[in-house]
Amino acid sequence: MRLAETQLNAVVARTETAPLKGVSVRSSWQKHVLTFLMVFGPGLIVMEADNDAGAVSTYMQAGGQYGLHLLWTLIVLLPICYFVQEMVARLGIATGKGHAAMIYERFGKWWGRFSLFDLLLVNFLTLITEFAAISLALRALGVNPWISVPVSALGLTLLVVTGSYLRWERMVIALCLMDLTWFALAYVVHPDWTAVGRAIIIPAMPAGGITSSLIFLVIAIVGTTIAPWQLFFQQSCVAEKRLRFTDLKWARLDTLIGATFTVLVAGAMMLVGNYGYQHGITFEDPAQLAVAFGSLAGHFARNGVLLLMVNAAVLGTTAISLASAWAYGEVKGWEHSLHKKLWEAPGFYATYIACVGAAAAVVLIPHMPLQLVIISVQVFAGLILPSAIIFLQLLLNDHELLGDRWVNRPWNNYINWTIIVVLFALSLLLAAQVMLPNLFA
Amino acid sequence: MATIQNSYGPEYFRVIHPLDDVPEQKCTSEGLGPIAMTPTVRTSLTLLRAYLILMGAMLLYHVLDLAGVVHRIF
Repeated sequence: MRLAETQLNAVVARTETAPLKGVSVRSSWQKHVLTFLMVFGPGLIVMEADNDAGAVSTYMQAGGQYGLHLLWTLIVLLPICYFVQEMVARLGIATGKGHAAMIYERFGKWWGRFSLFDLLLVNFLTLITEFAAISLALRALGVNPWISVPVSALGLTLLVVTGSYLRWERMVIALCLMDLTWFALAYVVHPDWTAVGRAIIIPAMPAGGITSSLIFLVIAIVGTTIAPWQLFFQQSCVAEKRLRFTDLKWARLDTLIGATFTVLVAGAMMLVGNYGYQHGITFEDPAQLAVAFGSLAGHFARNGVLLLMVNAAVLGTTAISLASAWAYGEVKGWEHSLHKKLWEAPGFYATYIACVGAAAAVVLIPHMPLQLVIISVQVFAGLILPSAIIFLQLLLNDHELLGDRWVNRPWNNYINWTIIVVLFALSLLLAAQVMLPNLFA
Repeated sequence: MATIQNSYGPEYFRVIHPLDDVPEQKCTSEGLGPIAMTPTVRTSLTLLRAYLILMGAMLLYHVLDLAGVVHRIF
């Protein structure tokens, strides 16, 4: 908005009575940079939180079992991640509401309840795996799970109850940036950079050829890179931050930066896993690989992997729990904002605390069947991801709701329908492999 | 984000954080009711139902298999 001189006088007169909010800058590029920095956050957080404990495990397994052969999958996943999350950011900016609320309003109570129930269930099961990773990694560092798990749960609760969205966002961005350490770890294990470059550009077949284990690891990589909670989280986060229509281009840049950073970090995890592959280390979880690293690559690599595993789980836990609390709060019509104090939005904070507390408590149960939890996550994610993404696509073609300005362009639709068909097929295959393993024997 | 200019001084820009800015009138579904059942919406929801039924059937089979019921039948 460009103001005339008379309008300027009005602005000046107004500032005499009320302080004018914002920051004054002299040049256009300063304005752009500052606006971007103010909008920046939800895109990076949603993407980097997706590199949670399960993702660390999957990417390191990919490197550990197949060396550099699956690096190319990350390049394919980068645009997919971006296009899906761009739709979410656009819908959040256009409506100022979360995904769960929009499904309820436009598709009715049945689909709304189904989506919400499935989201809450899969999120809760995923949270159990996050706390299991915290317990596993800190146990390898000599901390008793009866200390590490409750302390983590308490820390994760304190992170959100400050009554300020911005405080939460800044702390979580700092945690995201800690993932830069993965690049240092990838450097420390000295991969053959020429081979890395070749593996990224040219997909090559691993020694054993195409096996069911290879196919399902590829599907698991796709599943871990595009998780259902991400759709709900980013839309609610954008609504919480009250991004404006003019912020869309910066929200897109934020999402692109987040997707690129996440894929690069995932690549670094694969390179670390590849170190295990090169040295013949067999491992079932990253903590085992980290312990084996101690004698080969030094304490930095060992402790680095373990602490980054904890960081990944903490990031995943706060984002997933918030996705649940925002979605439940929206649907229930409760106050559901991090701007509110604990007593101003009791239902919202109670949902968050219940998610974190119950998942932490389940992990402390002796002989907890973690494998069953992991399988259940895959099955329920297979139910919720295709449905959530279909609703997203239909909402972004809803002219009645969004008008012509915000709906998908034809080229958007070609890309997004292709992504949806692929995700449907992969979700079905993964769920079939989990539930009917004999079919693939 | 406002651009402020006066003929006596340099142009400057005021950048306001989204949380401090005046709220916008967003697209709202108030009074619209459920989404219009266009052929795309109807086909998508039908396919989604079919997909969920298939997944449900697989889940049921898996549970029965784990319970040993499938082996007793076949």
